[in-house]
Amino acid sequence: MTGRPLADISPSDSPSLWQRFVGVCDRNASWLMPLPSMVVTALLMVFPLFYLLYMSVHDWMLIGGKPAEFIWFQNYLALLKDQRFLDSLWRTVVFIILGLIVQIPLGLAIAVLFNEHFPGRGIMRTLLLLPMVATPVAMALIWVIMMDPSQGVLNYFLSWLGIEGIAWLSDNNLVIPALVLVDTWQWTPMVALICLAGLSALPLEPFEAAMIDGANLWQRFWRLTLPMVWPTLLVAILFRFIDLLKVIEHIYVMTRGGPGFSSETINLYNFLMGLFYYRVGYGSTISVVIFALVLGACLMLIRARRTSW
Amino acid sequence: MVNSLKVEKGQGKNHPGFRRTILFLLGVIVLVPFLFPFLWMLLGSFKQEVDFMAYPPVWVFKPTLENYRNVFFENNFGTFAINSTIVAALTTFFGLLFGIPGAYAVARYKRTGFALIVLAARMAPGIAFLLPWFVLFVQMRLTNTYFALVTTHLIFTLPIILWMMIGFIEAVPREIEQAALVDGCTVWGSLWKVVLPLTLPGIAASGILCFIFSWNNFLFSVVLAGEATKTLPVAVFSFLGYQAISWGPLSAAASIITLPVILLALIVQKYIVQGLAAGGISG
Repeated sequence: MTGRPLADISPSDSPSLWQRFVGVCDRNASWLMPLPSMVVTALLMVFPLFYLLYMSVHDWMLIGGKPAEFIWFQNYLALLKDQRFLDSLWRTVVFIILGLIVQIPLGLAIAVLFNEHFPGRGIMRTLLLLPMVATPVAMALIWVIMMDPSQGVLNYFLSWLGIEGIAWLSDNNLVIPALVLVDTWQWTPMVALICLAGLSALPLEPFEAAMIDGANLWQRFWRLTLPMVWPTLLVAILFRFIDLLKVIEHIYVMTRGGPGFSSETINLYNFLMGLFYYRVGYGSTISVVIFALVLGACLMLIRARRTSW
Repeated sequence: MVNSLKVEKGQGKNHPGFRRTILFLLGVIVLVPFLFPFLWMLLGSFKQEVDFMAYPPVWVFKPTLENYRNVFFENNFGTFAINSTIVAALTTFFGLLFGIPGAYAVARYKRTGFALIVLAARMAPGIAFLLPWFVLFVQMRLTNTYFALVTTHLIFTLPIILWMMIGFIEAVPREIEQAALVDGCTVWGSLWKVVLPLTLPGIAASGILCFIFSWNNFLFSVVLAGEATKTLPVAVFSFLGYQAISWGPLSAAASIITLPVILLALIVQKYIVQGLAAGGISG
């Protein structure tokens, strides 16, 4: 190893214990250095995933004192017949589709705007970060206040347009769009900033050429900007897809899946099942399925990205 | 971009200021909905209960500090703020302690497999980690301890540190390190004396991001924290449950929690998207 301490090659033939220790550490640095973080990762992240698999094949309640019982794949089979799970899965699909349809075009549009040069652009970009970093629970509660049916400021704004008395979070049909609105508020800046990074890295020449050829703004966007920024956009879609599939936090805070079950997504159902009703065996099964869905979706999107190049 | 090139014909040439004004106004229009909840939160935190009941909502009112007093003196927010700070600080410290040498090894010894495993873990739903740890902590009687909170928070902060620091360490020229090694420095010495000082801005950025994520975390904390270790996000959530509707104190509490995060975020604004991409396990 290049980093041999000088003491090792100096004439003193018997290096002290400390020097030997230093020498050993130094020669083995390539695996000693990552060792702590590898152990922590193995213990904190890899091990629980295996334990999750173990739990998922058991009939296991955390309360009631009944010991865990090995039941093969019965939890997985039960899941297929669990109407509440299937409903929550469908709701999650709706949530993802609504979220992507709104957030991706909006984020891209904001990115195109903030890629232009105008006064105040820098500070505006900075301010755009705030929804992503502000404590989600706190902001979700502020949204609850704003969405209040009788005194809420959102309904007040809508009343200017002649729309009255929207029951946002207590209307079975509106609760999902209302929650998508909050998600959009929080995460569209993320899409915008990812796209902005992609846009600002684009070469200028094709655009100059297009302008000389007389292409208008619309044509330049569809024929040049969009195809060139597409790989970046796919990254943004991938991130949003994964996080929308796992959406839980502000739903738990704002509605707890209600009214009834009409805003219960799979991840929230998972949370309630495992950590609210303490059915940890069955809850683990749902977690395994969600993880599998996320991984599958990622592989699909990565493959889509490869072929699109 | 591109659309703003000087060669633009038509309006660009004739009204150089007009185009910029329009863009500026568009920017403001885009920004207003994203910032409005913050404005409403701050306004609400100074409103009296009567002002909340008013419809249409009042914009100008006699401000009061009563909500903040309530939050600190009747709802013990001082204690929860201390809890949050302890958990976030410990999480950040251990994240850096484990993460920096790990990142160094990935950058210099090409331990990419390890880095990919950490990244793959980002895709798992948070509950996939939380559920096993909850069961284990219950059996070990470790729920409601800082230990449980810090270890579980490391699940999402370690990936942030690792992935951000890989980039920063790779940016340090190898020649500087080799010079140190030739002069008799050990690999550890060169990490400590050469790489650490040179990557200090990166360490600060990833550390601050860790702090923010730990501070903001709700899901892990609501499950594992008890009355004694309750963090701020858990505490603000209980406003909704216990008292009927105390919107004023709720707004004040939300402002108190959010303010430090926003200030920290302004320092590290360049790295926020990167950090979110590396470790933002949200649920």
